[in-house]
Amino acid sequence: MAPRPCAVLGIGQTKYKRRRDDVTLDGLVREATLGAVEDAGASFDDIDAIVIGKAPDALEGVMMPLLSLCDALGAIGKPIHRVHTAGSVGASTAISAVNLVESGMYDTVLTVAYEKQSEGNATWALSGGKSGGQGAGGTFAPWIRNYIARSEAPEHIGWMVAVKDRLNALKNPYAHLHLPDISIEKVRESPMLWDPLHFLESCPSSDGAAAMVLGNDDIARKSGRPPAWVISHAKRTEFGQFPGRDTVRPQAGVECSEALYRKAGITNPREQIDCAELYVPFSWYEPMWLEGHLIAEEGEGWKMTDAGDTELGGSFPVNMSGGVLSSNPIGASGMIRCLEAANQVRGTAGEYQVPGAKISIGHAYGGAAQYYAMWMVSSELNPEL
Amino acid sequence: MPTLHDVDFILEYPYTRTTGPVIGPFLTGLRDGRILGQRCGARVLCPPMEFDPDAFATLAPDLVEVGPGGEVVNWTWVAEPSAKHPFDRPFGFAFIKLDGADTALVHAVDTGGDAAAMGVGMRVKAQFRDERHGSIADVYFVPEADAADQAIEPGEEPVTITEHLISLRIQEPLYPHRARFAQGLLDGKIIGQRSPVTGKVYVPGRGYDNMSRVLMDESDEVEVSDVGTVVAFTELNPVQYYGQTETEPYVRCSILFDGTDQPVIGIDIRDMTVDEMRVGMRMRCIWRDPEERSVAEIDNRYGNVPETVYARFESTGEPDVPAEQIKEHSW
Repeated sequence: MAPRPCAVLGIGQTKYKRRRDDVTLDGLVREATLGAVEDAGASFDDIDAIVIGKAPDALEGVMMPLLSLCDALGAIGKPIHRVHTAGSVGASTAISAVNLVESGMYDTVLTVAYEKQSEGNATWALSGGKSGGQGAGGTFAPWIRNYIARSEAPEHIGWMVAVKDRLNALKNPYAHLHLPDISIEKVRESPMLWDPLHFLESCPSSDGAAAMVLGNDDIARKSGRPPAWVISHAKRTEFGQFPGRDTVRPQAGVECSEALYRKAGITNPREQIDCAELYVPFSWYEPMWLEGHLIAEEGEGWKMTDAGDTELGGSFPVNMSGGVLSSNPIGASGMIRCLEAANQVRGTAGEYQVPGAKISIGHAYGGAAQYYAMWMVSSELNPEL
Repeated sequence: MPTLHDVDFILEYPYTRTTGPVIGPFLTGLRDGRILGQRCGARVLCPPMEFDPDAFATLAPDLVEVGPGGEVVNWTWVAEPSAKHPFDRPFGFAFIKLDGADTALVHAVDTGGDAAAMGVGMRVKAQFRDERHGSIADVYFVPEADAADQAIEPGEEPVTITEHLISLRIQEPLYPHRARFAQGLLDGKIIGQRSPVTGKVYVPGRGYDNMSRVLMDESDEVEVSDVGTVVAFTELNPVQYYGQTETEPYVRCSILFDGTDQPVIGIDIRDMTVDEMRVGMRMRCIWRDPEERSVAEIDNRYGNVPETVYARFESTGEPDVPAEQIKEHSW
């Protein structure tokens, strides 16, 4: 039996900030949830099930938060599921919600992801509570160095991505960082955190939540809201460490994108996809994922960045919303990529809209670049490629 | 099999909570000696909630004083309190429906250690602690007849953020393969595990080959070289967090020791700058003197080749290994 078509019908986001000190964790999650339900023209009565995701519980020190968040989510008396795949969780969560609609199990599913990073410290959480923790940047920096060595990319590529995403963020009212005077010089002169990554080439630490209401084709037609049809999705996993692992271009990432494109009939992602929200927490991951997800040939990703192809007006815009480099409520960051891809094909992306965007992808990775979750959305259920 | 040390580690962090428009006033009330409930339609909820648990609506802050007396609607007994409990003698945890509230608050009841004094329907009364911080622990309950009158001085600023030192103590023996690996380090040897299926050598071994899904034990262990090739590195500028003791930049690298198939990650280099490091460079471990070696920081999840066993790594002077040859070991 073919899967039931599934569409994004409502989107909700909080303003992303260093610290949301005006609300509780529950209140934060509630804001995005209400936004999505209202945007879908729905009410809590219309929601059949809830899928929630966040990064490790150690980030806020709240164990099994799905239980205490039940009333904020309107989940009492309904099935609730929690997804956990480290940094990729926001996208994995959204895809898990799609599965529930596609299977025919539920008609309308609410999916929510969040992080209130200000309540804890992510580097502490990733350190196992010990001194000398290197954080995500310290883990990825050596791989980035190896990418640079392998691809012979010039050092300014990372700075360019850092500037481009922050300029995009100026068009997004929800973005955490609004740095109107960002420049290559400022990025280059900012403190070195994990060589070769400067402070301004790294994602911020944000509080925030994101939510979507997903529905099947009947619900989509009835709602009258612009749909973003989820025409393909894929998740893949590999071990964090094993003999023969290529950390610069992890095999699970390659296979995840192959599966994503195959299901949608995409044979030339660069030409057939209009724009992408890729999970780029550190500047160099833009070219690394352009290559690692088969949008560019190996060694060619940085040339797309260098040529301006990934800018908002370029031939393959990436992170139109400002990306993870501008807002990073970790657990939500993957879901934001998915919902921003949906914003583009719904035509609801405001000032950072890619004109006429028909097909877009949302992507996230997590752990030691070992979990991948990607989805492809379109303004049409069966788009002409 | 050597038994070196048991893991005994306290994982703890001082988390903060923002209290929001309903919980904030509730905690401010506790600090000021008053218990507040939240109106929800015709009912009063205590503890207060931000959202109507039945209709899911957001509740506008509308707090009213309840208690200080109330009735136990159910209870249990804590015969052996832990250090984190509110009393150092046996006490009850009870659902307490405070006068004026329609829902029950879970809280501690001190009967002087007497379980027989507890009962459904018993009357209790709130008592406030001398030191109050805007926390649920600012208050406790006693049988109503035992309650003292208290004059509480209200505080100044409203409570908007609270801090909670949350901790978890982990006590367990080192796994046998971890103990043997750690003992090897004390002996100046790096012990790996060779997969009986693929022949690949893992350092440190995990007790299994994750690729072939087979267990590995002592019979699969091999001593590997303490000379290897740098396959990845960075310079860390330590992020400051609770428990962080590093303050100065240093180099962290991964080294693929000769005869192994998986690099040892997290090797810290203090006497070289990032500009002096190269992927492919050949390095040798210079061990500390045996009596100066320690593996105390090795547990079952963290710790590979710690600085407490080596004095430094130094270049062997051999030519670099071409990057292409170590592409598949880039951790």
